[in-house]
Amino acid sequence: MIHPKEHYFNLFQVDTPVLERLVQAALSSGGSYCDLFFENTTYGSLLLRDGAVTSGGNHIDYGVGVRVLSGEKTGYAYSESMAWEDMLSCARAASQIADKPVDVSPYGTRNPSRGEPNPAADRYPVVQHWRGTPLSAFLPFLQKLEQAVRQRDTRIVKVIANLAFQVTDVLMYNSARELKWDTRPMGSVSLTAVFQQNGQSENKSTSRSFRQGAEMLSDSLIEEMAMELVHGIDDRFAARRPKGGSMPVVMGAGASGILLHEAMGHAFEADFNRKGTSIFADKMGRKICPDGIQIIDDGTLAGNRGALNFDDEGIPGQKTYMVEDGVLTSYLHDRISAAHYGVRPTGNGRRESFRYAPLPRMRATYMESGSAKASDLIAEVQKGIFVNEFSNGQVQIGEGDFTFYVKSGYLIENGRLTQPVKDINIIGNGPQALADIRGVADDLAVDPGAWTCGKEQSVPVSCGIPTVLISGLTVGGE
Amino acid sequence: MSSNKIAAILTQAEIDLAQHCLTFAQEEGAQKVRITLSKSLMNLIGLLNGEVDKTAHALDRSLQLQLFVDGRYGAFSTNKLEKEGLETFIREAIDTVKMLQADTCRDLPAPERVAKDARTGRELGLFDPAYDQLTAEGRRELALASCHFKASSAHSGDSRGISLLAEEGEYSDSVFDTLTIDSQGLYARHTETSFEIGYETTVEDARGNHFSSYWWDAAPLLQDLRWKECAAIAYKRAMEQVGPQEIEGGKYTVVVDTECASKLLTPVLNALGGFSLQQKNSFLVDSLGKQLFPEKLTILDLPRAAGETGSRLFDSEGVATREMSIVDKGVVKTYFLNTYMAAKMEMEPTIEDAIRVKVLPTGGHKTLEDLLKAAGDCILITGFNGGNSNPATGNFSYGIEGFLVKDGKKVHPVRELLITGNFLQLWGKLLATADDARPCLSKLIPSLAFTNVDISA
Repeated sequence: MIHPKEHYFNLFQVDTPVLERLVQAALSSGGSYCDLFFENTTYGSLLLRDGAVTSGGNHIDYGVGVRVLSGEKTGYAYSESMAWEDMLSCARAASQIADKPVDVSPYGTRNPSRGEPNPAADRYPVVQHWRGTPLSAFLPFLQKLEQAVRQRDTRIVKVIANLAFQVTDVLMYNSARELKWDTRPMGSVSLTAVFQQNGQSENKSTSRSFRQGAEMLSDSLIEEMAMELVHGIDDRFAARRPKGGSMPVVMGAGASGILLHEAMGHAFEADFNRKGTSIFADKMGRKICPDGIQIIDDGTLAGNRGALNFDDEGIPGQKTYMVEDGVLTSYLHDRISAAHYGVRPTGNGRRESFRYAPLPRMRATYMESGSAKASDLIAEVQKGIFVNEFSNGQVQIGEGDFTFYVKSGYLIENGRLTQPVKDINIIGNGPQALADIRGVADDLAVDPGAWTCGKEQSVPVSCGIPTVLISGLTVGGE
Repeated sequence: MSSNKIAAILTQAEIDLAQHCLTFAQEEGAQKVRITLSKSLMNLIGLLNGEVDKTAHALDRSLQLQLFVDGRYGAFSTNKLEKEGLETFIREAIDTVKMLQADTCRDLPAPERVAKDARTGRELGLFDPAYDQLTAEGRRELALASCHFKASSAHSGDSRGISLLAEEGEYSDSVFDTLTIDSQGLYARHTETSFEIGYETTVEDARGNHFSSYWWDAAPLLQDLRWKECAAIAYKRAMEQVGPQEIEGGKYTVVVDTECASKLLTPVLNALGGFSLQQKNSFLVDSLGKQLFPEKLTILDLPRAAGETGSRLFDSEGVATREMSIVDKGVVKTYFLNTYMAAKMEMEPTIEDAIRVKVLPTGGHKTLEDLLKAAGDCILITGFNGGNSNPATGNFSYGIEGFLVKDGKKVHPVRELLITGNFLQLWGKLLATADDARPCLSKLIPSLAFTNVDISA
């Protein structure tokens, strides 16, 4: 819910003249640009363990970050106090990056769009506010969630259910006199169970995370999560490690979007390209994957974990096509990289909190549907693997080598899913994997899980993909 | 100038405020309370290709509050440290705890278990008294002096057509001061400084392939920071990555460089943690006292070594640390149980986590080179790329990079490989260790050699 401007001024004990004086102090040594990022975040959490909600708490984080740019160089400092002396000290620390005026400005500062008002579209409207609702109101949700899981499978020996929410107020001001404000909700539920069968243990987890209010804690969410948690547990017990090696991989719709995040998304973040380290640094405008493929990073999906009204530089949230018809058409930009490349920022300047300077970061990254059927893609593979559940991934930006960890999947033998597999890592090279996409199904799904990207800082993201067939990736095995 | 001028050092007024919060919470209805007050200061200089690219200055503070109210428990924190606001925060926190379900296992540690020798925070000698003499200009000079960009640029462009793409570096120094007090008389303080430097270098071969590597160092005292050679080592390591060749998958002897060896031990330590054990989400359930590892493996916790990175006199509950065996000649000797987990498992509490782990060398091999000679033909793992493990089964699969080794000598780099197995089985195939753990690491794990490991390529 976006409040009137005065709400944020009161919260941070500032007004426009104070903001302007602070910016002037930060630019007193020179520099080309300054921005201020005020944040007030309240967190709440509840943990159910061993059948009872016996742990919970609230946390407050409050402060202001001051960034000074001198060309492409960054000075950053923050204060956890809004006392004028503390903010001034912080501004002076940030100003040390500059020792003279610099005639290179980040995007938007030469022809500023005076940022008021905020956008008409609120991408995360709230029905039931997290703040002001006592934690005790959420206890029944966790208890019902545990019951719903346990009644579905008698092999469950332990259940942990966690509810975490946060509401973040931000106020942004910069040397172009742009003023933006926003309030961002986020609710996350995670569920883990340990199953035992014939002396063997297996664990399984699932999560949901949305920029929504407490209305997300519905009975339908309980049913959905409980069903998902127990689904496939028989296969998990029966799963084996496959024989490792290079083979075709069919990636199921939804969470397989981690492929896009790791294999190409990071390499499209413009800071890596500005520094020349990304494997995609010289591929703008070039064909990088087959015809007909669109890859998008999107901040406009209402309620999505990666949705933003504004990014953390005050640039409106937007939908960015990185790949159109197989051609690399855009990196993901913050103000610095946009100025470097002479393009408009794409609204990807994000930060974990006021403690960090913004960097180009993904939001919701996905590939548009193709025309194939998922079953046909599987049927094409004589000997390969189908994967659909993941825990984490990583990429080496320079080399383009990416990996992701597969919690579960199946062997594909003669076009059919056969033996369940689990706990294997898959490794590949980003440009090669893109070029090796052999088919895209018509079943795009954006995964609703609590994905977090950890590039220097942690920010919430999401990912999605239709079922795709890649002709060769290296699969770990015995 | 006195070190009291450092903004991250807790002032007496702030300590008094924490004491006030402790008393106030009890007055408002909490039977037991623990408070941790922390401050930290960090200065950072980032470098790109021999020039300052960014600076950062960070001053943090927080007050964490753990409340035990009517048999219920809650954890709270805030960085708003004004007295009136804190009182409101505490009052609301107590109301919140009262809404939770009761848990009789929650309690403060017994007074006889907590540290009584951490009064000043300086007992371990981890605070550099020279810290307050650092200036912005001095930091900048040190950071710039650590660059190797010009020398690396001059060296690149060799006959193989390799060029230097980027040299990114970061110098940072920090002060951390924390005080933990509780309503049973605990008063434990830890103060340390830390100096770190790290470089990542990326080079490009004639075909446009990129190769990168890094090097870093850290020390509690500036005089011990090995900053001069850091960038040059990162460049050398990046150059060594050029020209990887494919190898066949199969069973290999592997040697894991000390720099990344913790990847294979940390999941074992996690599996001995009370949280995993109590939830039966551990492959080491019911392992206490059992010989699950080879006799040549002994793992110690040495948390009280003065002046050493990672040393601590107490854990987050204030419980006094002590030297102890984690694994002794292959036998599991301890679980990591805090007060809560011990009560839930009806066992004696120990310490909540391993603090400063040391894997004892198996003897006979001092350096990585010695170990490679002993291994003969093998794969040297110098880095992991992603992957994970299953805590319930101990199965793992990680991406790796490194070198193919013949007769103890590196032949060529390898990458895009995967190592897959099970931790218990892997450690059962431990061949030997070197004795080369770097002192800047808080986990002192030397280079490790294992036989008969599955590698996918």
